[in-house]
Amino acid sequence: MPLAPTFTTVPVVVDDAKCIAEKGCTVCVDVCPLDVLRISDTTGKAYMAYDECWYCMPCEADCPTGAVKVNIPYLLK
Amino acid sequence: MSDPFESYSDLDDLAEQLASDDAGERRVAVMELADLGDPQAIPLLARAMADKDAGVRLQVARALESYDGPAAAAVLVTALTDPDKEVASAASESAAELKDPASADPLFPLVEHTSPFVRASALRALKELRRKESLKPALQALRDSDPQVRVQAVGVVGFLKLEEAVPALKSAAADPDPLVRRAAISALTFSHTQTATETIAKGLADSDWMVREIAAETLGSAHGEGAAAQLLATLSDPFWQVRLKTIRSLGKLKHKPAIKGISEALGHAQANLRKEAAAALGEIGDPSAKPALEAVADDPDPDVRKNIRWALQQIAIKAAASA
Amino acid sequence: MTLDAIVDGISEVACDVLVIGGGTAGPMAALKAKQKNPKANVILLEKANVKRSGAISMGMDGLNNAVIPGYATPEQYTKEITIANDGIVNQKAVLKYAQNCYKIIEELDSYGIRFLKNENGDFAVKKVHHIGTYVLPMPNGETVKKALYRQLRRARLLISNRYMATRLLTGTDGRVAGAIAVNTRTSEFLVIKAKSVILCMGAAGRLGLPTSGYMYGTYENAANAGDGYAMAYHAGAALANLECFQINPLIKDYNGPACAYVAGPFGAYTANNEGARFIECDYWSGQMMLEFFNELQSGKGPVFLKLNHLHEDTIKEIETILHKVERPTRGLFHEGRGTDYRREMIEMHISEIGFCSGHSASGVFVDDFGRTTIPGLYAAGDMASVPHNYMLGAFTNGAIAGEDAAEYAANVDFASFDAGAVALEKERVLAPTKREDGIPPNQIEYKTRRLVNDYLQPPKVTRKYELGQTRLAEVRDDLENRMMVRNSHELMRALEAHSILDCADMAAFASLYRTESRWGLYHLRTDFPHKNDEDWFCHTLLSKKDGRMACEKRAVDPYVVPIAEDERDLYDKQRIRASA
Ligand SMILES: Cc1cc2nc3c(=O)[nH]c(=O)nc-3n(C[C@H](O)[C@H](O)[C@H](O)COP(=O)(O)OP(=O)(O)OC[C@H]3O[C@@H](n4cnc5c(N)ncnc54)[C@H](O)[C@@H]3O)c2cc1C
Ligand code: SF4
Ligand code: SF4
Repeated sequence: MPLAPTFTTVPVVVDDAKCIAEKGCTVCVDVCPLDVLRISDTTGKAYMAYDECWYCMPCEADCPTGAVKVNIPYLLK
Repeated sequence: MSDPFESYSDLDDLAEQLASDDAGERRVAVMELADLGDPQAIPLLARAMADKDAGVRLQVARALESYDGPAAAAVLVTALTDPDKEVASAASESAAELKDPASADPLFPLVEHTSPFVRASALRALKELRRKESLKPALQALRDSDPQVRVQAVGVVGFLKLEEAVPALKSAAADPDPLVRRAAISALTFSHTQTATETIAKGLADSDWMVREIAAETLGSAHGEGAAAQLLATLSDPFWQVRLKTIRSLGKLKHKPAIKGISEALGHAQANLRKEAAAALGEIGDPSAKPALEAVADDPDPDVRKNIRWALQQIAIKAAASA
Repeated sequence: MTLDAIVDGISEVACDVLVIGGGTAGPMAALKAKQKNPKANVILLEKANVKRSGAISMGMDGLNNAVIPGYATPEQYTKEITIANDGIVNQKAVLKYAQNCYKIIEELDSYGIRFLKNENGDFAVKKVHHIGTYVLPMPNGETVKKALYRQLRRARLLISNRYMATRLLTGTDGRVAGAIAVNTRTSEFLVIKAKSVILCMGAAGRLGLPTSGYMYGTYENAANAGDGYAMAYHAGAALANLECFQINPLIKDYNGPACAYVAGPFGAYTANNEGARFIECDYWSGQMMLEFFNELQSGKGPVFLKLNHLHEDTIKEIETILHKVERPTRGLFHEGRGTDYRREMIEMHISEIGFCSGHSASGVFVDDFGRTTIPGLYAAGDMASVPHNYMLGAFTNGAIAGEDAAEYAANVDFASFDAGAVALEKERVLAPTKREDGIPPNQIEYKTRRLVNDYLQPPKVTRKYELGQTRLAEVRDDLENRMMVRNSHELMRALEAHSILDCADMAAFASLYRTESRWGLYHLRTDFPHKNDEDWFCHTLLSKKDGRMACEKRAVDPYVVPIAEDERDLYDKQRIRASA
């Protein structure tokens, strides 16, 4: 099956400098109702793995260090 | 295959993690203490409250939201007085969720703390705990220099619903700050003494429109004929919002002498006010309002029309009942 | 390691009461089942994470339907819900909710959830209209879910997160026997044997397609894909009045709730392009949505939320509530657009269709104890047939079902079931993982939902519906034979695509069965434009009979709160005016 990686922007941005995932935090990944966040194997930080957001924001509200920002994507503006 | 159930972390493991050199790891341990739901976690949280890292302390202040009772409140007391602003304000939010009356004991001394933020937060938490011992410090706090503290003090007094506190609330209703005056008038809702009614009625002439609004609203809750007569004055308040609450209260009190004044509002440009006037005339249910209602039966606003229809129906029902 | 790699595995557990869905109704059901019988083994199974799952994940800005002594009576409430639903209600269940909900409010208050109170500490119920007063704001509503979670942890309930239930197990004797679930990150299976099962899986929120270009709306929690409706159907339970769709008013382009409920008591209202009110109807109902729809289509559209006549201080108060709790992104949306409540009216629109008794009436058919037509199987919340539940209904009816289910479980043994059922389900679930090539689940889902918008969105036209059914059948063939996934996350989406398609089929089937128009826009059939009480004053029950979809009529139980003839009349008269 031929696949194409399509260029898209995701609404959730994580500030790697603030994220403490490598210390064992997984709060944002845990609370996401759509399970679209993951901890990256390469950076050790949280990131948005799937572009399937509901814009509900617990990831931002519950992050202990304020590392998560949920943006309104272009199509919803 | 991994255990399909959410785990309940082991206290000893978490205690060990709390001793880690890494602030991030300590912070994560505190988060797990929050989820534990086990009061045995409180001593560990108390220890973590002395952490040198403000992030860890912030997490403790948030974690305390999950706990209640005097032991948790004691840790909150430390958190409320933390030098870090974020820690203190998280503690203030957590304290507002306390429900166990016994949680009040460690909070009492804070009412005399040097920081107005701490004083206000302590009073805010004490409100819900409804302890009689809160009355004295709260009455004192009504004379605080900070208006936020005075607002919360009014709440503490008001939640207790004690007739003996009515005179103090009366003075608070003359406070220089409008927010305090608003709170004081709302706090008098419970009392049907003459002093209370008079104090609220005085608020109808306040310089701040929101104070007049709450006074007009409060008088509607069973403060009797005397209150209704006072309300006639605010029927011509310059703010339609105040007139709206006045009309609603007059309707609730079924005050017939207000019919003429209320009917005038049926022609006001603000549909919300016309609607309220029609509804109030229905509540009063007197046939003398019929012509005024019928004259505006084709009001352009459907909600107003609906209330006119309802009012006419109420009048008809009452007429039939008394016939 | 590949992200969310598929692992082969299966384990089995057993419990007395299994609650599926840990959003709003579920946690309450689990808690009450445990309190009722502390010895009972209670499992709460959730597709996401109970800490922040469900419609209330970020809280709510208030209770829409609080029946509080002194403001409204249970009888009055029951009457109004009956009228709002054109008479087709099980009054006993509505009345029971109304009688029990105040107790639940007090209990929630004791959990630390903060409701709006006056300075005497009394609940500050807000008046919406003269008929009844039911709105109780929650200024710190964002703490709801956390407070609830705290109670679950204190009770040491068994919580199973990230497990998506896929099918119910039914016993050889017709009772419920448990459920099968699959881990959304590993694809491992979990078989849960249970004496009673409570379904609390929320609305079918991914039925129609939102206009945003994304598949996950901003309104309904997108984890609620209609799995509960599909599971109940495949287990043979009856579903009531599915043709009574849910359509909501929303903020255009943002697609989130407009919350007129919150802004209303402050003086805000829905207006047309002249800034004038146009809604005649008293209740949030299909009739109201029809008036909304008509105005949108008319020269007086579009429709707006009007606040710009309010005082600055009032607007500030509304903003704090609306932009903090429930959907905090709403503030960001207005900011990005530069829209300001003070200056202009906010454009509104109507949503795509869904199933949801929370705001409407359709759902798994239950009695006043939350019992479905299958012994031992219960349903509560947005997926059960008690109309206009909202959040407090989910809590209250969840509590009622939890207690009854615990009692039921105490008196029965496990039902025995056919072991082959598990193997069959495993095969069905994993089929898309076995293909080397095929259609990704998001394309199957997109197509299904586009077809729903094209053919099923009211007004309902018979010919369009029939065409829609043909197209949906083609999609089903692709879904069953050509859908392909690469990891566990995609597998979850593939399973959701199954539920969505099942719901679409049920929506079409139920709509064609009821050959009249009822519930305003929700069931507006252009070729049967009138309400026909003679033939259709009844529930319709859809269920699976001999492997096929079937519908039947069921009489409305005698009213416990009578509705006088003239009260119904008055309401109908208002409608005539509205359509004139
Ligand atoms: C945007 C919005 C605003 C609202 N505003 C208000 C308001 O202001 N006031 C009010 O009273 N009501 C309001 N409501 C309605 C109210 O929130 C809902 O009626 C109520 O929360 C529904 O509860 P529930 O338990 O049925 O569903 P939910 O709380 O949605 O829970 C369903 C749960 O089931 C889980 N689930 C789904 N499928 C599966 C599966 N296959 N396996 C396992 N778990 C599964 C989901 O993850 C979810 O956690 C609003 C609803 C929405 C969406
Ligand atoms: S919650 Fe914040 S700190 Fe924790 S993993 Fe997510 S981004 Fe990192
Ligand atoms: S906003 Fe909600 S859906 Fe989006 S990533 Fe955050 S938690 Fe998940």
